[in-house]
Amino acid sequence: MMTQKVTDWVDERLGIAKGGRSSLNKIFPDHWSFMLGEIALYSFIVLLFTGTFLTLFFVPSSHLITYHGPYKPLDGQKVSEAFASTLRLSFSVRAGLVMRQMHHWAANVFIAAIVVHVCRIFFTGSFRKPRELNWIIGTLLLILAIVNGFIGYSLPDDLISGTGIRIAFSIVESVPLVGSYLAFFLFGGNFPGNSIIPRFYTIHVLLVPALIVALLAAHLGIMYHQKHTQYPGPKRTNRNVVGTVLWPGYALEAGGFFFITAGVLAALGGLVQINPIWLYGPYIPYKVSYAVQPDWYMGWLDGALRLMPSWEIVAFGHMIPNVFFPAVLLPGITFTALALWPFIERKITKDDRVHNICERPRDNSWRTSLGVGILAFYVVLFFASSTDVLANTFQTSLNFVLWFFRIALIVLPPASAYVTYLITKETQKNTAAGQRKVAMIISRDETGNYSTVDAEPAEDDIHPAQSPVPVPEEAAYLHHNGLVVGSEEQELVTVGDSNGSFTRSLESELPPQRSGGSGVFRVPRSLPGSQGGFFGGGPRRRGRGQRHGDQK
Amino acid sequence: MSLFQSFPRAIRSGGAALAVTVLVGVLGFVIFYPSQAPTASVPVAQPSTGPSSITFSQHATAPAITYHNPSKTLVPEGRTLFVENCASCHGVNAAGSSRAPNLQGLGAATIDFWVYTGRMPLADPTVQAIEGHPRFTRQQTLAIAAYVVSRAPGGPAIPDVNLGVASLSEGQSLFSTNCAACHTITGVGDALANNVYAPSLYGVGSTQIAEAMRTGPGNMPRFGPGTLSNFQVASIAKYVLYLQKPQDPGGLSLGHVGPVTEGFVGILLGLGGLMLFGFWIGGRAAR
Amino acid sequence: MSVDEHLQGTAGSPRGVAQEHRSLDTGSKTAERFVALAFFISFVATIGLGVTFWVGGQAQLEGAFLFVALIGIGAGIVSWGKYLVPHGPFVQEREELRSSDEDRAAFYASLERGSKQLGRRKFLGRMLGLSLGAFGIIQLFPFLRSLGPVPGKALFVTHWKKDSQVVKVDGTAVLASDLEVGGAMTVFPRGFEGNALDQVILIRPATTEIVTRPGRETWGPQGYLAFSKVCTHAGCPVGLYQELTEQLLCPCHQSLFDVLTGATPVFGPAPRPLPQLPLKIDSSGNLLAQNGFDQPIGPGFWER
Repeated sequence: MMTQKVTDWVDERLGIAKGGRSSLNKIFPDHWSFMLGEIALYSFIVLLFTGTFLTLFFVPSSHLITYHGPYKPLDGQKVSEAFASTLRLSFSVRAGLVMRQMHHWAANVFIAAIVVHVCRIFFTGSFRKPRELNWIIGTLLLILAIVNGFIGYSLPDDLISGTGIRIAFSIVESVPLVGSYLAFFLFGGNFPGNSIIPRFYTIHVLLVPALIVALLAAHLGIMYHQKHTQYPGPKRTNRNVVGTVLWPGYALEAGGFFFITAGVLAALGGLVQINPIWLYGPYIPYKVSYAVQPDWYMGWLDGALRLMPSWEIVAFGHMIPNVFFPAVLLPGITFTALALWPFIERKITKDDRVHNICERPRDNSWRTSLGVGILAFYVVLFFASSTDVLANTFQTSLNFVLWFFRIALIVLPPASAYVTYLITKETQKNTAAGQRKVAMIISRDETGNYSTVDAEPAEDDIHPAQSPVPVPEEAAYLHHNGLVVGSEEQELVTVGDSNGSFTRSLESELPPQRSGGSGVFRVPRSLPGSQGGFFGGGPRRRGRGQRHGDQK
Repeated sequence: MSLFQSFPRAIRSGGAALAVTVLVGVLGFVIFYPSQAPTASVPVAQPSTGPSSITFSQHATAPAITYHNPSKTLVPEGRTLFVENCASCHGVNAAGSSRAPNLQGLGAATIDFWVYTGRMPLADPTVQAIEGHPRFTRQQTLAIAAYVVSRAPGGPAIPDVNLGVASLSEGQSLFSTNCAACHTITGVGDALANNVYAPSLYGVGSTQIAEAMRTGPGNMPRFGPGTLSNFQVASIAKYVLYLQKPQDPGGLSLGHVGPVTEGFVGILLGLGGLMLFGFWIGGRAAR
Repeated sequence: MSVDEHLQGTAGSPRGVAQEHRSLDTGSKTAERFVALAFFISFVATIGLGVTFWVGGQAQLEGAFLFVALIGIGAGIVSWGKYLVPHGPFVQEREELRSSDEDRAAFYASLERGSKQLGRRKFLGRMLGLSLGAFGIIQLFPFLRSLGPVPGKALFVTHWKKDSQVVKVDGTAVLASDLEVGGAMTVFPRGFEGNALDQVILIRPATTEIVTRPGRETWGPQGYLAFSKVCTHAGCPVGLYQELTEQLLCPCHQSLFDVLTGATPVFGPAPRPLPQLPLKIDSSGNLLAQNGFDQPIGPGFWER
């Protein structure tokens, strides 16, 4: 009874039961592609945990000290306190190396998940009305994540990241009119100065994370308020949501997925080495290593810097430097266009309807092919950031590789867009594409004639996506209060007790579903992910009480 | 009522189990944890106000490198080998031809480096010689060098590096100043412009490392005694040998190529692995 | 209506009934066992993790134990949610997000009321705008000015001056006899060893086929050439000297500079040659700078 006492206590002060009821009964659609945002969210939580640990040991200072530590190849060298404390984290602090590497891997996975998440939203048209605001917030989150990733990568003050900071100074410096002022204000003077590491630290652990947390809260709040989009399917309309109920099914799945995400990141953090700064050594401005690449999410900018022809605009006594175009103008255009995309598309399609159903990418040829073309552009830039490594790996001339990418940058986007267009058109014609396979029974009678019939559905065959029902308690509440529930197809039915028997009784009323058009039962493939396939269980699982009932 | 009932008994008992576990854990920690944290391995950071340049004073008294030319008794054997394997391009007297450079006066170190790293003899003179299995034994290599030196003296002799007096730390510092720009900071090598490669430094011995610095083979600049002292060359060699088997406390080294492979691992293994779980949890869309 | 009747009603064949009965039970049992096992494995791994910490820690063991511990918890919880609780699918209506026309009208009316009350005093509004705007703009000044100095001439000059002595990073003077033909080294003006912007790459090419640009005839005594080591593209140290082809390659973005023609860019994104430092050799063989650079070093900027 403790739970009830506590909830009553809180409810009398905050009134949580009112909103809490509908929250517990909220429906979240199931689909693997809806997990991408969750991966990003959970990676971010891991980043917060591991990052907090790192701040306890990291010293954000450019002050030079003489290193005397367990890593002998750097013994006696003058290094910054930032670098020395990172070495200490890696070699002397218990579990420090795992935490550092987990943090770095989590950052890589965090941004990767965001990027793929953005692609999912884009290609399924989930940014359309009413979700334009959340798209913009998402774009801001992507920018913040990339910025903070770069800054965090720079903090250890090692040779590779220090070279990156040098390039960052040149990029800021290249902004017309105010560039040199901006760079001097950011770095506290001319490069390198002593201010950039402490300032980056404040930005990295305070400013940007706070912004991310705020925007993330808005992002999730809006998603929650608007309810998630869902894929088209039987009984799924623009006016309903079909899926798993938050309490307890979805809560368990989502909560469990957090642990899984943290587990995978821990595996990477403990078993795969990332950013071995002890091998790179401290950043000294006149030292440099070849094969300097930024982390992957900055790759497209690095690639653009490499592919840019050696142009520079000099006129009226002023200069627009070379790096301005690939490193300032390109990301500026990229993120502006990305943020404004819902409005650009609406301008073209004049579509002002509310869309809660995801579009299958193949059903919208022009958007999908355009998206693939643009994606190809950035993928070429991304690979161009490792021209030297590719040339070395394939023993080709560096010059050839560079020219290959310059040409590919122009040729590949339209080519891939065109191929995508053809593929979408082709798959549109084939209505059975992607459908599940059907079990058939072929029998021969006495006269030797063969006949084919669809197999009887095994209990696994009835896909649970069919015949969705309202959550019993929610339906009872709405019914009791005379609120409308159910759309054209749903009828309100008597509500059983809350141990699951309701679900069963309603289900019994519904005949086995046949898929539209093909007239066959859909047999879930026995893959993990298709409901019920993993343990050979039935489409519905009875609650505890129900099973006891059976045994009587 | 329904709110409370919706908490399954398993969760209630799970909470109790969790509480007990935490309690026992905390108690055990307090009782049994060693009273002092290990301090032996924590580095002592000493503040320093000097300039950023690095000076090392622990130059050893024993010579870091001794140079010696191969014994003259090897010249007849070397002559035979040279005539058989090298003279078709470099000429019998090693004076060079239109196809290959003059070797006279380049010194025993040059000959030893090119031959003993497997770069010479070269099958195709138009491409950059790459390292490989040496075609000659140590003695044969020295014999060829002895023969070339006997044609015309001069040039650096073969260095014998005394790693014992060299400094690993100074080697790291000098390596990152002078070598990392081409060979990369981890020594894996990389492609330079116009079909030229900075080779990987793995699998090279200290003698050949010192020879390369002193003679500047191919596109590599020469680092003479005025640029790098013998102690510095020996220190770099010591660090390169360390780089061939460096400390990788973080796990799989991913080839020491840096963020390129890290990015692929992060995307494919990290995000890809998580998406496999995502397929399991989220499932496919119903049609 | 009991469940059994319902099952018989829907599943048409005896096979269906029998299988459903069996698999529902075993499925649940299996799932329960799996969940319990997952939690137990996690528990064991956590103990292992604790022991690892205790004895001093080892990164790979810690990672592996953390992985198993977290995955065990995660897989257990997910399986519990997926296989042991009613899973629907459930359906829920979406309310319309848009407010009703009545709500909108009421909202506009309230908004209008306030705006009208404020709008009567236009002058006060303008004064408020003035004070707020001025406050906002003035606050920017101390903030920005505290952050750093204005660039001034800092980007146009280096510490290389007339008669600056060329020294190595450890401060020792560079003599004309120091560098072998075909060698290269990084040098600084005396007093600024290790400075990021003063770094110069000193090269002694093995060839005499140097194309000297007009006005630079005396800049390279005894075949010594000195160029700013700061790339004119993005500022990286151009430390990669290809001796045979007499080229300098920037490791960051692969700009290629031809040493023999005054470090002019021949490949890659760099738009300008590396500035050349005029050298001279004094009577005792020391290398000195004839003068500072004749142009700003490093990447471009607006005022350049």
